[in-house]
Amino acid sequence: MAHIHLPGEIPVRYLDRSKGASTVAGTLVVVGLVAFVVRLGQDAQSAWISYVTNWLFFTGIAMGGVLLSVATWITKAKWNWSLRRVSQSFVAFLPVAFVLLLPMLGLREGYFPWIEEMAHDPILQRKAAYLNVPFLITRNVVAMALLTGLALYFVYLALRPDMGYAKGAEGEDEVRAGWREKLSQNWMGQDAEEANSYKRMTTMAPAFVIFYAVGMSIFVYDWAMSLEPHWFSTMFGPWFFMGAFWGGIASTALWSLYLRTKDRVFHHEIGLQQRHDLGKLAFAFTVFWTYLFFSQYIVIWYGKLPWEQAWIIRRSAEPWGGFSALVVSLCFVVPFAGLIGRKAKLKPALLATFTSVILTGLWLERYALVAPSLHHEGDPIFTIWQPLIGCLFLGLYILAVRWFLSTFPAIQLWQPKPDPESTEAERA
Amino acid sequence: MATSRERGALTHPDVHKLSDVNRDILKILSRPGKGWWMLFGLAAAGVGLFLVSWGNQIVNGIGESGLNSPVGWGVYITTFVFWVGIAHSGTLISAILFLFRAPWRQSVYRAAEAMTVFAVMTAGLFPLIHVGRVWHAYWLFPYPNSRFLWPNFRSPLIWDVFAVTTYFTVSAVFFYLGTVPDVAAARDQATGLRKKLYQVISLGWQGTDRQWHHFGKAYIFLAALATPLVLSVHSVVSWDFAMSIVPGWHATIFAPYFVAGAIFSGVAMVITLAVPIRKVWGLEAYLTTKHFDALAKLCLLTSLIVLYAYLSEFFMAWYSGEEIERTAFWNRLFGDYWWATWTMLTCNGLVPVMLWFKRVRHSIPALFVISFFINIGMWFERYVIVVTSLHHEYEPFAWGIYRPSLTEMGIMVGSFAWFGFWFLLFTRLLPPVAIAELKEVLPPPLRKQSKEAH
Repeated sequence: MAHIHLPGEIPVRYLDRSKGASTVAGTLVVVGLVAFVVRLGQDAQSAWISYVTNWLFFTGIAMGGVLLSVATWITKAKWNWSLRRVSQSFVAFLPVAFVLLLPMLGLREGYFPWIEEMAHDPILQRKAAYLNVPFLITRNVVAMALLTGLALYFVYLALRPDMGYAKGAEGEDEVRAGWREKLSQNWMGQDAEEANSYKRMTTMAPAFVIFYAVGMSIFVYDWAMSLEPHWFSTMFGPWFFMGAFWGGIASTALWSLYLRTKDRVFHHEIGLQQRHDLGKLAFAFTVFWTYLFFSQYIVIWYGKLPWEQAWIIRRSAEPWGGFSALVVSLCFVVPFAGLIGRKAKLKPALLATFTSVILTGLWLERYALVAPSLHHEGDPIFTIWQPLIGCLFLGLYILAVRWFLSTFPAIQLWQPKPDPESTEAERA
Repeated sequence: MATSRERGALTHPDVHKLSDVNRDILKILSRPGKGWWMLFGLAAAGVGLFLVSWGNQIVNGIGESGLNSPVGWGVYITTFVFWVGIAHSGTLISAILFLFRAPWRQSVYRAAEAMTVFAVMTAGLFPLIHVGRVWHAYWLFPYPNSRFLWPNFRSPLIWDVFAVTTYFTVSAVFFYLGTVPDVAAARDQATGLRKKLYQVISLGWQGTDRQWHHFGKAYIFLAALATPLVLSVHSVVSWDFAMSIVPGWHATIFAPYFVAGAIFSGVAMVITLAVPIRKVWGLEAYLTTKHFDALAKLCLLTSLIVLYAYLSEFFMAWYSGEEIERTAFWNRLFGDYWWATWTMLTCNGLVPVMLWFKRVRHSIPALFVISFFINIGMWFERYVIVVTSLHHEYEPFAWGIYRPSLTEMGIMVGSFAWFGFWFLLFTRLLPPVAIAELKEVLPPPLRKQSKEAH
């Protein structure tokens, strides 16, 4: 395995602001918003299912991207030095996701079946301490606020020392300088800033990981598991949040491949090592997602308990069986076969193809977690409205990430200094 | 392996020359001290206890154990799962950390791999003990026979036979492969019978470019093969429980929860073993506090995963609203075996909290003590799962209390001696620290440096 090369000085590069890209993303937002409003008039429940599943998907990959930068920070990884900022940039979507969560909190009987069933179901009445609207709103707001806050703080700490290098660099305009001013208040000097950021990031990173596991479990319990209020599975949380992590890795790959096409520096620094490692991670998580999926499935299948099976049967029997098979092939069969070799990880076009397949698979999976539980017999299982409403989220996500990468240096300029306690092997 | 040459590799500031490595590590093989003989005597006595206890059960029957309806699985299965769990960290450290390019593994992985092999050897005894009539144990294997009888392939117990034997094979091969260059180093210094033995084991290793090339290829190939096995073995073990509908066993999270727990206990066991090795043979320069720090962090991570699993199980039991589920978990916390559950929660959830502090992670005595707590806690975790679920199943008329008999305790204690017996032999026969990989992270012997060293 190759030695990881870090250039002595990393040039300051921003993603270009592009009118074209903004127009496209803006159009997506408008289309999605219009679609949502139109669909709300036609079939409110279906509109909300699309809204919630897209929220789960895009919030998930944004959180997962931040988690990638946090996890590689904790493990002192060096291979992703040129990708740190890419996965950090997803943080820009999180405040948007927070706002997008608020209308969901107004959902009642139209989305949560347990609200009505509670009155005449003794088993559900026993869950009333958890399944009630005020607590649902409280825990979602608190979890989202905590996660967003921690993520923003982590990325703020990562950005701050860069501001020293970015000062007066080529490509700095008024907006960028304005943000630099904002971020470099109370500047302590380059070395002190780097030391301070390093220390604080290392201290707070585990907290984000812990809240990620708990918070994401809360989201998926509420917005997917509780829709079949008799069903429960301890694996559901990990399955969801590891999937989101995987989505974060796959979308980091896609964004970095996009960056490569934009600038010579990106093209050079997002090199073989980075693509190979991203490909390996995407492949490993393909197997890991399948492992979690299968471990949950086989226990339920073998146990054959009526209340547990119902959830699986609803998804494996008609009309959903084909759809679920599609999810499994996009999340497992295709990326497993595709990414197992070395070539697919190294060739940008192939890596982009397979990570897109993974993201599509995950996007459909989020839908399959929610929609079958609320499906009315005879209705179509998948309509064009799902991707149309998804445009709202996709557009906002692209705008947020693009804004971040074009406002702040798109490759992190400061890198953690080698641990003074462990000297380097090949100094000689 | 060249991978250890990554940036940030842990070097050993107190090791000055490459030849020091051969000297320091190989001296372990040649001079058994008083301490070694004392430990070895203790282990041999324990193996005696093990044989006597088992012999008692073979002669007088399985009634010598405390197993009875309703608790048909007890200390044997608990200890089986415990040892399979211990076996996990070896392959994790040698294969997964290798693929993740974590360079700190080079000092500990040999001992961890040996531990894996011996732990599987220990675990493998327990199904034999547990079946009672051990002379029929070969019925577990599917072989063509005159009555066309096959084991039930739908039973997770049979999957377990395959999972554990596969794991044993792959980890033994992986362990052996890694030792080849080091055994060659030992061969070059040995004399007499030992030299003959090492000549056979080292397969004529000369350290040529061609051999290193093949070695590297084989190593990474086996690492990739062993990685999914780490996950699969303990998942299958967990399904011995989760497939049934016994309350407290039937939980979807069981597979990753068991894997994390296995790594947790295995890493703790590596610490437990590495501390005395370091002390007895004066390997402070090779097993530095940085290595222990990394091991402690791994413990902390897996402790958190295990804690997540505990809490989600308790939460889900409540959330299910099912009477049976709720009662099972209430019974765990406050029933007849409350002491086992609280021991488990304290040792696995509470004690590792101390590992958040750098001072604790850098204190070898503290880590040694904590690793003992974790080992105890993880044994009790399996005891809680096995016994509390069985003694309080569905029908109240079939509830009952299980008390391990002296025979069972003798076998359980003896299994530690059996494990220790092999491990002590290993430290005398094979270099317990990987010589070749250690040299990779030392500065190459350039003229300038050798001047500095003098």
